[in-house]
Amino acid sequence: MRKKCIFSLVGLFALNILSAQSQAIQFEKYTLPNGLKVILHEDHSAPVVAVTALYHVGSKNEDTARTGFAHFFEHLLFEGSDNIKRGEFDKYIANAGGVNNANTSQDRTFYYELFPSNQVDLGLWLESERMMHAKIEQVGVNTQREVVKEEKRQRMDNRPYGSFLTEVLKRAFNVHPYRWAPIGSIDHLNAATLEEFVQFYKTYYVPNNCVLSIAGDINKAELKQKIASYFGPIAKSATPIIRPTIKEPALGGEVRDTIYDNIQLSGVFQAYRAPKQGGSEYYAFNILSTILSGGESSRMTKTLVDTKQQAAFAGSQPFFNEDEGLFITIALANAGVKPDSLELSIDSVVNDLKNNLVGEREFQKVKNQITTGLVSSKATMAGIAESLADNEVYFGDANLINTELDKYNKVTREDILKVAQKYLNKDNRVVLYYLPKPTTAK
Amino acid sequence: MKKLVYLFICCMPITLMAQSIDRTKAPAPGKAPLIQVGNPVKYTLANGLQIFVVKNTKLPTVVASLVINLDGVKEGDKAGVADMAGQLLKRGTTSMSKEVLDEAVEYLGGSLNTSSLSATVSSLKYNFPKLFELMSAVILHPSLANSELEKVRVQTLSGIESNKDDADAISNNVMSKLVYGPNHPFGEIATTKTVNAVKIEDVKNYINSYWKPNMAYLVFVGDIEPAEAKALAEKNLGVWKKGITIPQNFPKPVKPTSTYVAIVDRPASVQSVVAIASTVDLVKGAPNDISANVMNNILGGSFSGRLFNNLREAHGFTYGAYSSLTPNRQIGIFSAEASVRNEKTDSSIQEMLYEINVIRNNKVGDTELNRMKNYLSGGFARSLESPATIANFALNIAKYNLPADYYQKYLTKLAAVNADNVQAAAKDLLFPNQMHIVIVGNAKQIAKGLEKYGPVKYFDIEGNEVAAPTEAKADANLTSAVLIEKITNAMGGGDALSKIKDVQLIGKVNIMGQSLDMTQKLLIPGNAIQTMSMGGMVISKQAVVNGKYEMSQQGQQAPITDEIKEGLDESTHLVPEQTYISKGYKFTIVGAEKVDGKDAVDVELITPSGKKSHRYYDATTYLLVKTMKSQEVPGRAAVVQQEFFKNYQTIEGVAFAKETTIDLGQFKMNINYNEIKVNQGLKLEDLK
Repeated sequence: MRKKCIFSLVGLFALNILSAQSQAIQFEKYTLPNGLKVILHEDHSAPVVAVTALYHVGSKNEDTARTGFAHFFEHLLFEGSDNIKRGEFDKYIANAGGVNNANTSQDRTFYYELFPSNQVDLGLWLESERMMHAKIEQVGVNTQREVVKEEKRQRMDNRPYGSFLTEVLKRAFNVHPYRWAPIGSIDHLNAATLEEFVQFYKTYYVPNNCVLSIAGDINKAELKQKIASYFGPIAKSATPIIRPTIKEPALGGEVRDTIYDNIQLSGVFQAYRAPKQGGSEYYAFNILSTILSGGESSRMTKTLVDTKQQAAFAGSQPFFNEDEGLFITIALANAGVKPDSLELSIDSVVNDLKNNLVGEREFQKVKNQITTGLVSSKATMAGIAESLADNEVYFGDANLINTELDKYNKVTREDILKVAQKYLNKDNRVVLYYLPKPTTAK
Repeated sequence: MKKLVYLFICCMPITLMAQSIDRTKAPAPGKAPLIQVGNPVKYTLANGLQIFVVKNTKLPTVVASLVINLDGVKEGDKAGVADMAGQLLKRGTTSMSKEVLDEAVEYLGGSLNTSSLSATVSSLKYNFPKLFELMSAVILHPSLANSELEKVRVQTLSGIESNKDDADAISNNVMSKLVYGPNHPFGEIATTKTVNAVKIEDVKNYINSYWKPNMAYLVFVGDIEPAEAKALAEKNLGVWKKGITIPQNFPKPVKPTSTYVAIVDRPASVQSVVAIASTVDLVKGAPNDISANVMNNILGGSFSGRLFNNLREAHGFTYGAYSSLTPNRQIGIFSAEASVRNEKTDSSIQEMLYEINVIRNNKVGDTELNRMKNYLSGGFARSLESPATIANFALNIAKYNLPADYYQKYLTKLAAVNADNVQAAAKDLLFPNQMHIVIVGNAKQIAKGLEKYGPVKYFDIEGNEVAAPTEAKADANLTSAVLIEKITNAMGGGDALSKIKDVQLIGKVNIMGQSLDMTQKLLIPGNAIQTMSMGGMVISKQAVVNGKYEMSQQGQQAPITDEIKEGLDESTHLVPEQTYISKGYKFTIVGAEKVDGKDAVDVELITPSGKKSHRYYDATTYLLVKTMKSQEVPGRAAVVQQEFFKNYQTIEGVAFAKETTIDLGQFKMNINYNEIKVNQGLKLEDLK
């Protein structure tokens, strides 16, 4: 994000796991002649509206010599347009009582504004200006390059364990563009010419690569007219959109490494290669992850933090994307606990999933937790708009927001055992130890 | 599980008639939405428990919160007991252990949390009755077990310990104590001593005294019929016995008669945490509370506030500067805060006071005022998306005796705020001549010149006034060569030192509540090893044995740099100072400093590889009392590492420090050597 982090794990996954059940989310979906997909969800329960634009471009679309472009555009596209002066984008929003932000993943870039509902037109104007004729100028490029450098320092270089995703990705993938993180390379950004930025904009930030998803206190009939007026005149792009088709081969053996960082507690990060998002194995993995780390009574928390008191924190995170997935476990050792003894304990918790069926009551507990999570994820208009757009882009099915719970309900205890046995194996994982940077004692 | 029904309208691509728009300008806002602020249904049980229900069927979920109607209680020499009691509540009931309770809550897909003055439970509606029963059990029959108290105590103490090095936490504690005074609950500080004094009886006493139905509100929000909520409350909490409410009358804090400066000296600071604060005569619901809020937001409420624009954007003193203005039941508090570079401490205070004066003395312009009003009304509208907002409104109305239509009229009142109201609020509430200016920072570098704001006083991290740090003095005629001679003599003198052939130091290391074993062995000349281990497992090791250098942590070898070699070589000498000149170190007396209240000679040491550090020698005994070096971290303020040497003991005529403390700012490590042996005939093979 421009103001917060670009890919906090939690943020990314919230998109994938959480959405479903309860009262159905009604929505209308249509496509403008220029290819822009529009999804509208009308809900008058509060005088608010979320205006969001999801572009199907992330770091995986980048040239190997120009990594960091997609995330850079997350910043650059706040620089103004033909009709919005530099630096005024945010001011319009604040003056209207709104808030806004954006984030970039390996697969997509998401911009959003939350407004009191009488400001929805402003949202249309801002997003259409951004899509139609954003300012891609040297002065903006120079400014945002400095901001991104600071963001990288603050979020990755200076944050304890902040480099872990970058370090994991480059070891877990060898050929797929998932091998780099969205922040990319500052050197690549330095080397890029203005013309390259303009070309990237013209290729990816076009109506036929975007979903405009709006949720809240709107009048659909009226809004559709306005959407046509603001977005209709934006030309469809003829430039082909490049999506990687490369298939990542199996890891073919355990990869282990040690990273020295400015930290006080050692960390053990394990990343197993895992299936891509959306399939039945993906839902099984999300359940498996909740078994390991969903709440106080979960296995990793109870065993590693409470009973053995080896870890100050222990958790797991499915990191599933459009083409490939990772399943990551994270544990920070208590002072005086060696990472290898902590790793043994993590392995024994994980291996239990490969050797024994999950108990019926525990399995039900985890499904209950997931159900609550899916329902609660529909509490905000911003969450609903994002979920609709994600489901449409990734699965061509915005309505997954209403059917996802069924997918979880189809998962059996045997499925958990199967995915554990298939994926949670040593030769399928990267293990990183994070150790405090040594300092001389005297 | 409920069968899902969904409506799904998927239209084929359609073309709509485009209206003509002028995209050269931002569109005007539509008609302001009608903001409806609903009212909850209210009940009171026979035991006095007041119930609010906000029914909202948007999601099939329910949240219930029990809130004790207090702002805080006086804890005295047991400060911390309330927070600890709050944490203990959910650690088991008389019939369920913590583990069983956690599992029961999560089996129902719910969550349960407790604090000193509240308990909250949430879940899907169909599991809610069971979860409400669990919350009620926690309220009525908590186990309050001693063993759980001990776990909570360990966590609380480590929190206090880490806060001791946290300049922001120190600033908050000291500011609260000075602004509210030590006899007000908001002015109390939990310390190691007060937390250690808490016994399980105190926890029980706290719960029994303040957790009473007739002092509590129970708020339901979500998909639940009001009557159903009432019945649930009646069934589970109807048996809760009414009690005597203990009136909480605290002395009303008074402002200082004139502005003064309160410095908490923190020599390791590279930034000063500055807070300009005072009480304000502002209670919730006061006639001027909305204009006061507008005023504070203009002054420093956010990125668009004047403090931020002045201190960060115009001057670059800080990453952020903000103000806050909080009304409360009895009295409110104002504070303007920023973390600023040491050398800009004085200038920052000046600019902060300047902005306070400007907002008092000048009318705000229309553009700035309207932008802020839009921002606040937009925020109000957006806050209504969460049904809990309505419940909070109702709770505030009840707790603070606000007019029943306070929130219904909020937007109208906000729209009516004008520039005169804003200036009046500033004049009525902010008194730049009666402020506490609290600074946590490096006194030696920042204190000069601050007298112009008022008397300068000094406080410790618990907010107790202490004497001003005195200027350290050292012998002006001392030369490096003479100093090295004095150090050598202090350590035992050349003769005694030359008789030491080997040394073994065996001790314990305390680090973040864990105890490790530390062993150091020296075989003179040229060999030394230091190992830290736990339960026999070696955690870190550094050694130079037979010319071979080694440094490892948790089995991982670190690359051996020249700097590490120098450090390891130094560790083979009892008095490394003896070797500095011959090895080409630069050993320069640069001044004097107080170390633990005593004068010490400050020496700058530069190694042949260029590594700079400081060493401090007691100005009377010439024993080494402290070393300090900074570890560069790219892009961030350097981490200062200080090491203190205490409790010297003479063995075979040579002085050894029995106690060492390594202070890295965020964490500390204490080493106590309980066994020091010399000349035991160590051999090279013993150095493993």
